[in-house]
Amino acid sequence: MVTVIEASGLTKQFGNTTAVDNVTLSVPQGALFGLLGPNGSGKTTMIKMLTGQIRPTTGMATVLGLDVVNDPVGVRKLVGIIPEQETPPSFLSAMEYLAFVGAVRKIPDIEEKAAWWFSFLEFEDKRDVLCKDLSRGTRQKLMFAQAFLHKPVLALIDEPLINFDPIMQRKVKGYLADYVKSGGTIFISTHILEIAEEICSGFAILHNGKLLYSGAISELSGKKQHLSEFFFSQVQI
Amino acid sequence: MGFELFTSMMKEEWRLHSTVFGSISFALFPVLIFGIVFMSSFLLPLFRAVLPAGDLALVTIGVFLLLGVMVGGFGLLGNEVMNRRFGQMSLLAYSARSLPLSERYIFTTFIIKDIVYYLFLWVLPFVLGFAVASPFIGVPAMLPLLLFVSLTMTFLFGLSAIFFLSTVYSRSKPALLVIFAAVVVMAGWAFLSYGTRLGDLFPPLQLLRNATWISFFLSCILVIIPFVVSVLIFKPEYSGTSKRFINLLTPLTRKLSFFPTPPLAAKDLIDLWRSGGGIGQVLFSFLLPLGLIWFFLSVLKSLVPDYAILLVFAVTTGIISATMYTWITSFDTFSSYACLPVSVSTLITSKICTFTLLQVIPAVFIVIVTIITGMVQYLIPAMVLWGAVSLYALSVSIYLTGLTPNILVYDVRVLIAFLFLIGVPVMVVIALSFINPYFGIAALFLGIPAYGLVRKGYTRWEAKDMASF
Ligand SMILES: Nc1ncnc2c1ncn2[C@@H]1O[C@H](COP(=O)(O)OP(=O)(O)OP(=O)(O)O)[C@@H](O)[C@H]1O
Ligand SMILES: [Mg+2]
Repeated sequence: MVTVIEASGLTKQFGNTTAVDNVTLSVPQGALFGLLGPNGSGKTTMIKMLTGQIRPTTGMATVLGLDVVNDPVGVRKLVGIIPEQETPPSFLSAMEYLAFVGAVRKIPDIEEKAAWWFSFLEFEDKRDVLCKDLSRGTRQKLMFAQAFLHKPVLALIDEPLINFDPIMQRKVKGYLADYVKSGGTIFISTHILEIAEEICSGFAILHNGKLLYSGAISELSGKKQHLSEFFFSQVQI
Repeated sequence: MGFELFTSMMKEEWRLHSTVFGSISFALFPVLIFGIVFMSSFLLPLFRAVLPAGDLALVTIGVFLLLGVMVGGFGLLGNEVMNRRFGQMSLLAYSARSLPLSERYIFTTFIIKDIVYYLFLWVLPFVLGFAVASPFIGVPAMLPLLLFVSLTMTFLFGLSAIFFLSTVYSRSKPALLVIFAAVVVMAGWAFLSYGTRLGDLFPPLQLLRNATWISFFLSCILVIIPFVVSVLIFKPEYSGTSKRFINLLTPLTRKLSFFPTPPLAAKDLIDLWRSGGGIGQVLFSFLLPLGLIWFFLSVLKSLVPDYAILLVFAVTTGIISATMYTWITSFDTFSSYACLPVSVSTLITSKICTFTLLQVIPAVFIVIVTIITGMVQYLIPAMVLWGAVSLYALSVSIYLTGLTPNILVYDVRVLIAFLFLIGVPVMVVIALSFINPYFGIAALFLGIPAYGLVRKGYTRWEAKDMASF
């Protein structure tokens, strides 16, 4: 089994807070892997470390075989990222932002690809509006498109569904499931347990920065347990 | 309710600066000003021997007018006022919108907060430094008080005038042109009738020279009228406008293909342009301060040869040009790039390129100045001095502040390092060009430390976690 994310002893301290505490984790290729945990448990910090946006205090991680500390730009070249805060540069229009990402990532035929995303996520009417004037949900659509524009083999996405309406959520869940079927890997952080249960193949639970559990969803169905019951039993110790 | 908004804005401002820049350094800032003024007060007799007595007052007033203009120009540009200051919408000025208060009210509170803030930070320590020294240097007891009133008025006038001009600018550009034309005509007329003693007409300066109630009232009117008018014509702009913009990024990226990272440069230019920055910034943060500096330098006419004034002006233009780096770094936090494969050093390189492009503005400016002053024969040393100083000051900013040059304004340690690193070489090139205008060309050697500083800056800022506040 090929692994795409390999973290060992990953730790991040901010002053006295230990945001992520000695986490060892591996994610196999082709997984739709959910990172679960209450607010402040370290999910975002974990994703930032795995994408080379911040440096781990101790421990190490490789993503697609590249060391995240030594080659953060290399990692970000290969993967797609949706950051937690949807902050596209404010004075570019939605279309310009996708063109910008396309130019930075050297993606050919960006106009066509962008057009596909505008139509798929149903925000064609916003394509020439400045990012700063977009609604939160629309910004999230834009960030979603941006992450998958170059068809990365791995995408790390932080709460990508939170601002979507139910219809859009269903559409995007379908997209993610197809993405994994066609050979991609997704690492998704979320607190919406139903979504995780519905689409994820594997998951991990973080609590106060510590990894409580990591395994396959199928292990739960073996035990005839729902993810939410399992989650509460793990977290409320 | 109203006062609470004001106090929480003050607290927020303090916390914003002090958490980002370290509260000790930040609190030291007024102390530093106090110290410098206190000590220079003892040199006053020395200054007097060199400069005609009144000119020192004129220069001091000039500095504070400039300060007001700069604070106003950086902070209060029309509609983008809050956006520009903070780049993020999460602060009080924004969240207060959910309170039952009018936009104009919030805006006014915001301005008053700014005034109080800078008064404590700059004006008060300056006056106190002089006041504490005054018993030892034998100046009239009333002078510190007059200085306080006069400097406050000057600072407020600078702020209020810029506030007025930028509000007009955001409402109607032709109106701004008309006002400028009127000011130029009036200044021209006054200059013809009063010559270089034009400054004497400025009421806050009269306050310092021979205070009368009339000059006091005139000063107040000068401050209050533009301020009130601007609050009245202030036009709030709500986000959520669905104005449409055609794709400028793609064609611009193609045009800039000779740059190492064309899309980053294109984005910077679009940000600058669409934020209303393009013309506004040039006007308020470049031409206006330099116009003032030229005026105050011309006071020295009797003391030094003409070419010396031109070359000192070129050097000053270099330093002001370097602040264009803040124009292109104020729109993005690193988090906007966090999901893209760009490193901090790539970003800095790209900002250097955009900066270089913007230097067309001061380059043309210097050419025009040499023509107007009839000193075209010194064009080459002037250009070299301006260009070398600008690039060198840019490299110092990059080394000291990375992608957040605004730190300079608040962190004393960084500011001192900045003043030292800029001041020493600048003094040397100025001294050289006083000896012979062509010796100034030696400023080209500043390229060597500049290169080293940028290289060091790369490793230094690459090693830090990307700040995304
Ligand atoms: N830049 C920072 N400086 C200081 N502390 C931080 C920083 N970033 C995160 N933290 C702290 O680290 C801990 C983990 O935060 P993180 O954002 O990773 O949680 P999260 O699981 O993503 O939470 P949420 O579900 O609310 O998004 C929190 O206690 C947070 O306060
Ligand atoms: Mg989070």
